[in-house]
Amino acid sequence: MEVHAQEFWLPKHGSSTAEYEDASRSRQPRFAVADGATETSFSRIWAKQLVNAFTRGKLNVPLAPHTLRPLQTRWQEIVRLRPLPWYAEEKAQSGAFAAFLGLELEVLTDGEQFTPSWKATAAGDTCLVQVRGGEVIKKFPLERSDEFGNRPHLLCSRADVEVPPVSNCIGDYGCDDAFFLMSDALALWFYSECESGNRPWEILRDLDTTDARQTFDELISDLRACHYIKNDDVTLLRIDVY
Amino acid sequence: MPYSAEISRTNPSCFLFLIDQSGSMADPFGGGEGNLKKSDGVADIINRMLQNLVIKCAKEEGIRDYFHVGVLGYGAQVGPAFSGSLTGRQLVPISEIGNSPARVEQRNKQVPDGAGGLVEQAIRFPIWFEPVANGGTPMNSALRQAKAIVADWLSQHPNSYPPIVINITDGESTDGDPSGAASDITNLATADGNALLFNIHCSSQRGQPVVFPSTEAGLPDQFAVQLFRMSSSLPSHMAAAAASEGISAGESARGFVFNAGMIEIIKALDIGTRPSALR
Repeated sequence: MEVHAQEFWLPKHGSSTAEYEDASRSRQPRFAVADGATETSFSRIWAKQLVNAFTRGKLNVPLAPHTLRPLQTRWQEIVRLRPLPWYAEEKAQSGAFAAFLGLELEVLTDGEQFTPSWKATAAGDTCLVQVRGGEVIKKFPLERSDEFGNRPHLLCSRADVEVPPVSNCIGDYGCDDAFFLMSDALALWFYSECESGNRPWEILRDLDTTDARQTFDELISDLRACHYIKNDDVTLLRIDVY
Repeated sequence: MPYSAEISRTNPSCFLFLIDQSGSMADPFGGGEGNLKKSDGVADIINRMLQNLVIKCAKEEGIRDYFHVGVLGYGAQVGPAFSGSLTGRQLVPISEIGNSPARVEQRNKQVPDGAGGLVEQAIRFPIWFEPVANGGTPMNSALRQAKAIVADWLSQHPNSYPPIVINITDGESTDGDPSGAASDITNLATADGNALLFNIHCSSQRGQPVVFPSTEAGLPDQFAVQLFRMSSSLPSHMAAAAASEGISAGESARGFVFNAGMIEIIKALDIGTRPSALR
């Protein structure tokens, strides 16, 4: 079996690429997406730290709160290095927040039996969808569009802020499966489309292939123009298993 | 749906504070704050609100201009009330406000010490607005000036999240009935809804504090009733924010606060200035 991962992302309309606050990273067999909160500062750095740490094996499934400590210490060091005006210093004291999802593919061995399996951990509303045989077989950690809210449980860069409940999940995978890891704006659209009887994964599956009808940027721009998705940073990490 | 417009640097919103600076604002706060003068308390509230708005818009690269903000004083005269380098300015982009306090004071605040107690921590407290208590209460003129400022701003931002005007007063207008001028403000609109007028009534009368009431029943005098009637209904997302802060705000709740203490007023203003979506 081969695994191919591809990342797609676009900042908010009206924002520059330097202001994009999601992060994604693939380092087989680990994959991660994080969504830094717009309302907090230095959240881009925090989101990057989270995906880098997971894909390097510094964070694991299930995510243990104490494993965040070194990242939180490092975040404080990075922020303190910069001379900040009063407002930025005050804002930084509140910490940065981010939603996070990490996926690890593995092969479980039971005697001579080899079972490809996956495990994932998530905080907040960054979501994973697994598609097999033209059907969605798993949505994680949220399962319905009405579960997306304005106050998701996010990971904070401050050690004295309680780590929110983290969801963990396991499953198996095989040839021709696909995983879609999405930050909340795209995930909400995906879930709503599924609930309307549509097959949004076919659009995402074809991106950057000869079957694609439009590019990722064109797709997101159209969805924003039609108000099908909110104007937010958008990230998709697509993982195809052959 | 009204009051749902995205607030961004290309589509900012606007806050205009109207501050009663009449001689009676030298009286003590009615909300049980001891000997604190109303004018001193209100100055602290406005400086704190400006600070909160700046921090809300702050990012690592600087302050994003999600808001344009003004402060009008009314007492011996009616006009812009910023101090320092912003003196005389009406509506100012929030980044300019953040970078131009008249001065920054050192104050102390109590924070948990991690062992169940409290310790004092020095904080920086920027000052843009000084306390004044002098003259009558020309609320009518202030509201008319506010209407002109908001109307001008709206002509340049017709699709914005509607402007919010917040009037902080100890009650009785001395230049006529302000109801008409208040209606003139709330009749202004963007594509996203009508401008909002909220009133904070710091009465010298003894009376139970009231936050976001749905009815005028129980208000102690005609001035409180008049300010209640002048106040806009709370948009649903603000009512929901109030509920999440433990403040009961029914479907017909108005943006009106009577005789609350400073902490309650700041909490109410924080709810009343909470945007739907910053992008």
